[in-house]
Amino acid sequence: MSSAREDILSRLRRALAQQPPFPDRPRAAYLPVTRLSPDEDLKARFIAECERVKGIVRVAPDEAAARDALRDLLADRNARRVTMWDEAHIPLSGVAALLQDLGIARVQGDPADVAAADVGITGVDWAIAATGTLVLSSGPGKPRMASLLPPIHIAVLTEDRIVPRLEDYIAAERTRQLGVFRRSSNVTLITGSSRTSDIEMHPVFGVHGPLELHVILIENLRAARG
Amino acid sequence: MSRTDQFSRSVTVALSDIQLQTALDRGTTRGVNGRIAAMGETTDADALRHQARLAREHALNHLPDLLEQLERNVIANGGHVLWARDAAELNQVILDLCQQHGVQRVTKGKSMVTEESELNHALEARGIEVTESDLGEYIIQLAGETPSHIVFPMLHKTKEATAQLLHDKLGMPMTDRPEDMTRFVRGVMRRKYLEADMGISGVNFAIAETGTIATVENEGNNRLSTSAPRVHVAVMGVEKVIATWEDYAILVQLLARSATGQRLSVYNNLMSGPRRPDEPDGPEVFYLIIMDNGRSRILGSEYAESLACIRCGACLNACPVYQNIGGHAYGWVYPGPIGSIISPLLLGPTNAPKLPYASSLCGACQAACPVEISIPDMLLKLRRDLVQAGDATFAWRAGMRLWRQAMLSPALYRSGGWLAGLATQMLANADGKIESLPPPLKAWTDSRDFPAFAKQPFRERLKQRRRSKEEPGVGA
Repeated sequence: MSSAREDILSRLRRALAQQPPFPDRPRAAYLPVTRLSPDEDLKARFIAECERVKGIVRVAPDEAAARDALRDLLADRNARRVTMWDEAHIPLSGVAALLQDLGIARVQGDPADVAAADVGITGVDWAIAATGTLVLSSGPGKPRMASLLPPIHIAVLTEDRIVPRLEDYIAAERTRQLGVFRRSSNVTLITGSSRTSDIEMHPVFGVHGPLELHVILIENLRAARG
Repeated sequence: MSRTDQFSRSVTVALSDIQLQTALDRGTTRGVNGRIAAMGETTDADALRHQARLAREHALNHLPDLLEQLERNVIANGGHVLWARDAAELNQVILDLCQQHGVQRVTKGKSMVTEESELNHALEARGIEVTESDLGEYIIQLAGETPSHIVFPMLHKTKEATAQLLHDKLGMPMTDRPEDMTRFVRGVMRRKYLEADMGISGVNFAIAETGTIATVENEGNNRLSTSAPRVHVAVMGVEKVIATWEDYAILVQLLARSATGQRLSVYNNLMSGPRRPDEPDGPEVFYLIIMDNGRSRILGSEYAESLACIRCGACLNACPVYQNIGGHAYGWVYPGPIGSIISPLLLGPTNAPKLPYASSLCGACQAACPVEISIPDMLLKLRRDLVQAGDATFAWRAGMRLWRQAMLSPALYRSGGWLAGLATQMLANADGKIESLPPPLKAWTDSRDFPAFAKQPFRERLKQRRRSKEEPGVGA
């Protein structure tokens, strides 16, 4: 135990000893931030919000259509090297076979190697309709770098994973004892493609993270994932 | 520390700097409009602000307990927690970590706390290369300047000046497109991330119940700085801890809406310790450093409310003083209305004597604040403290005594008002303005006119109006 620790904690306790700085007011259940109607079409709202922040969403009615969309996208962007999550964590079968088919190399491992990839392909843990947000957690077979280093990030999402708001996502994790925040060293909420407003508050997309964010949204399919 | 002494001179320079005025005008206007639109579309902006306020109050009321809980959980996640009493100790702790882990190169995400400690100088003095990774911070670092805004560090720079700097320092082809400048810096920074041994980040919120630190960003630089290097060091002030994930959800959304007008920032990174043995990437070691640096003193004072600040910068954009003088004039790390409170509290009031007066007390800051901080109230209290500490001129004291006498005696007040009316009317020009007064009132008329008092005092007019109202048949 460092003495800095003891010093700081005892200073803080002394500061609060007389009386706490604020009256202990009861905190009611939180009002959620975003307006959402009770019969909101979550899929439509997610697509609208994601596109508002420069995400590009392709809706696929089934896996075959999703694979076609992925194939078109990879061909269109002239992808040569791809880094990806383990197939078990992408809710679309046959991605590895598709890459092989297209003659695309798979890279993984050190960030320096992954940096050479043109495209990163990941699954999505959850998506938030009200803000067009993707929730990705790190874990075995789920590298952080796949959604971060390549200039193009393609996320594969199934419709059943869309929750209304951030507050609903937190509430759901609460029912799971907040396990993900202890198990995963990193959970990231991604809302759109990387951007900056540093130069005269003028928005520019594509800074240090991906320049393009694509979502392939598969309708009515239950994801089988751990 | 005496930089704040130069306030008056810095203001004069800032006001005549056309480039700065252009940049401030463009930037703060966008900032204010973005916030108003984003807060206006919520379920109930005032109720939400109050919720956010209660979350911060709860955290401050239970600060030591929450910090201990945070520490336990960070350790349970496999991380380390270190403490620093002040800025010097913070730098020493980080230097020790650099030595321990053989660190040559560091990338930094945005961190105001390390601005307080001037960490970059300390690292560079030891021959460690440190690169700011946020686009704005990087450009500021290239220019050898300091940030002028909590959220938009290079708000004082126009795009033209930015292009020139990147051209001169790094050979970028000249352009006036922010897109091209951004893409150029992306290329430069890529190598830095991959070569760095240590990533240093700030902390926007530390969630005690799971030992998770949250950062908020748009560029991806923070994700890279905290994921690519083998050592991640996160630095926070003691006040950053919050109790629950529900608190996080409200605070992080109001932060984004107030700071940049976004519903959520692009990357909200939630980090719980180092990479797990079965995870493919992420830092091998994680340290959280918790710094006091005067905050415990503020907690026990009547200014505890200032610790509720979540550093959104909304009060800066909204402030008519900031809009005109920019951040550098304030002379220290935290500019704007909240800076005028935090700087004197952290540096000692007599080390920043001008800042509490750098406000018209119009209240725009408080109206913009997502956690309802009573900024004008505290500025007034700080002025009182300064006077009590002896920081007031003879003229000021004499004037205040006179004012007090007049306010205590109706007769004196009446005749004083009449006299003021007469005197000022005599000095006024045709527009009813006085253009020049003798010292010490000259300080006022040097930069603006003084309006003459009305010929007929308000009290008289009110009396007359009442009399005429009582007579039937006369319109109001």
